[in-house]
Amino acid sequence: MAGLLRRVKTRLSITAHRKVRGLLDGEYVSVFHGRSMDFDDLRPYVPGDELKDIDWKATARHGHPLTKRYIAARKHTLALLVDTGRNMAALAASGEVKRDIGIEVAGALAYIASRHGDQVCLIAGDATHTEFRTPGSTEAHLERLLQLVHSSTSLASGPSDLTKQLAFTASRLTRRMILLIVADDRELGDRERDLLARLSVQHEILWITIGDADLMREEWSSRSMHDVGTEYSLPAFVRGDRALREEFASSVALSAARSEDFLEALSISSERVVSTADVLPGLFRLLERHKRARR
Amino acid sequence: MELIFWWMPLVWLAVVAAVAGGVVLLRRRLRRSREDAPPIPVAHADRLTRLPGYRAALGRFAGLLAATAALVGIAFAGAVGLTMRPASVDVVHPDLNNRDIVLCLDVSGSMIEYDRELIEVFGTLAEQFTGERIGLVVFNASAVTYFPLTTDYDYVIEQLARLDGEFESEDSSYYAGTLIGNGSSLIGDGLASCVLRFDNLDSERSRSVILATDNLLAGDPIFELEDAADLAAERDVRVYGLNPGDTSAKDYLDELAIEFENAVTATGGAYYPLDDPAAVPAIVERISAEQAALLEGPTQLVYDDQPAVPFLVALGGFAGLLLLARRLQR
Repeated sequence: MAGLLRRVKTRLSITAHRKVRGLLDGEYVSVFHGRSMDFDDLRPYVPGDELKDIDWKATARHGHPLTKRYIAARKHTLALLVDTGRNMAALAASGEVKRDIGIEVAGALAYIASRHGDQVCLIAGDATHTEFRTPGSTEAHLERLLQLVHSSTSLASGPSDLTKQLAFTASRLTRRMILLIVADDRELGDRERDLLARLSVQHEILWITIGDADLMREEWSSRSMHDVGTEYSLPAFVRGDRALREEFASSVALSAARSEDFLEALSISSERVVSTADVLPGLFRLLERHKRARR
Repeated sequence: MELIFWWMPLVWLAVVAAVAGGVVLLRRRLRRSREDAPPIPVAHADRLTRLPGYRAALGRFAGLLAATAALVGIAFAGAVGLTMRPASVDVVHPDLNNRDIVLCLDVSGSMIEYDRELIEVFGTLAEQFTGERIGLVVFNASAVTYFPLTTDYDYVIEQLARLDGEFESEDSSYYAGTLIGNGSSLIGDGLASCVLRFDNLDSERSRSVILATDNLLAGDPIFELEDAADLAAERDVRVYGLNPGDTSAKDYLDELAIEFENAVTATGGAYYPLDDPAAVPAIVERISAEQAALLEGPTQLVYDDQPAVPFLVALGGFAGLLLLARRLQR
């Protein structure tokens, strides 16, 4: 198994994405670290930095934009809350396994956080059990977290039940944290809504939805398809029905909009990611949205 | 109604079982070897299954499946029915209808009245015949084929009517050609001529001659009556004799009558003495019936296939399947 973190770092540092990485860095810092009174040093401006932080005098002297860096007031802890039930071993809208997309999202944010001295912990599990990994900031620690998510998510895992992990978080994590929840296109139940309302008071919550596979996708209509939760096999004949395809698409869009509205009402920033190629842009959109929501 | 291959369903059962077994085996093998299209694992299938459209589509699918199964069943039942060969069974006594009858008339003066009666009877017989051939030969000193063996009954009736007219007319044209020879009423020659009128000797037909004569010979024939009878027997021709001379009123003809009777019975035929021309029809009927009894073939069971109903059932099933396939393509 190649290092999962290395894969995340590779994606972050591919030339085409270098700008994105800088953007993400800037976003992360401006979102979560803000400005303390204690000036540390200057660094070159990267897109995404707050315009307020640009040291205009130094910029004028130096010839290109420089941003003021402050000593962080305190360290943050980023908690990754990842569903490792068998739902996540199913396919995403892109045809990739949802687990892999989730690992990329969680890994990217965790890596950026660790680079800024923040610690990362993990709450992962399914309906049968919940794993907790204490905060750490080394790359080896991150790699272990990602490996845990990867190895415990398979079609043989227990059924997905995010409620368990949310309840665990609510009862066990007492410190204020940044909570990144990696979930899928689930309909939020009453208990989950209650728990989220409760958690959103204590933590800053970022919500990543891994877009589920389009069940009515035309190119899949001749292959057999089964639900990982119920083992129910969706008959191919029905999946070719054109009228049903439209009904399904509008129903999914409606359900996604409903979830987003609910999360927004709790001031939880959410973003939907459907493929690994969409991970970094999605993360950027999420941080951007979170920054705006906080003002 | 009977089924010729009543055991066909068993064969079909075996065939269907074999095909189904083969398909299962083949699929199992294919599934083992084919890795390119594994099933797609998805989550939250209830996003689709809870839609009312899904339930409707599933219902449609079930309906189509049921209709397909029913139509396949119907077509299959029709096919099985067809292969069982339903047939109607008839017991048939085939009339062989392969008789050749030559009417051999002595047209000497004494016979005219009986000849006319015979001709009339032949006329009515010709209307009843199907497939039998009749011919007419008149003779006196020499024999003339009035008409050859034929199944053209219209022609026969027409010719008989003409001959009847000729008997009645003054100029006695029926004599034409019958007086060439040494004497008159050469019965042996006449019979021999009649026997020679049969054709297709190698085909198996019943051949008979109805010879009407009083056996009153006046001349020097080439064939004696016995010789002619031998010739007939040799050629497997039965000769039925009608003798108007054999009556108590004509005792002087006794010897001739006995000779005549011996000659015809020797050929396997029969001899009928006649008093009255009115008896002729009955006798001809008897000859005809006797021949018919002789020639009735063995009783046969005739199976007549009746495929219409199972064929239409199978056709209906297949037509339904085609329509359904069209419906599915849309």
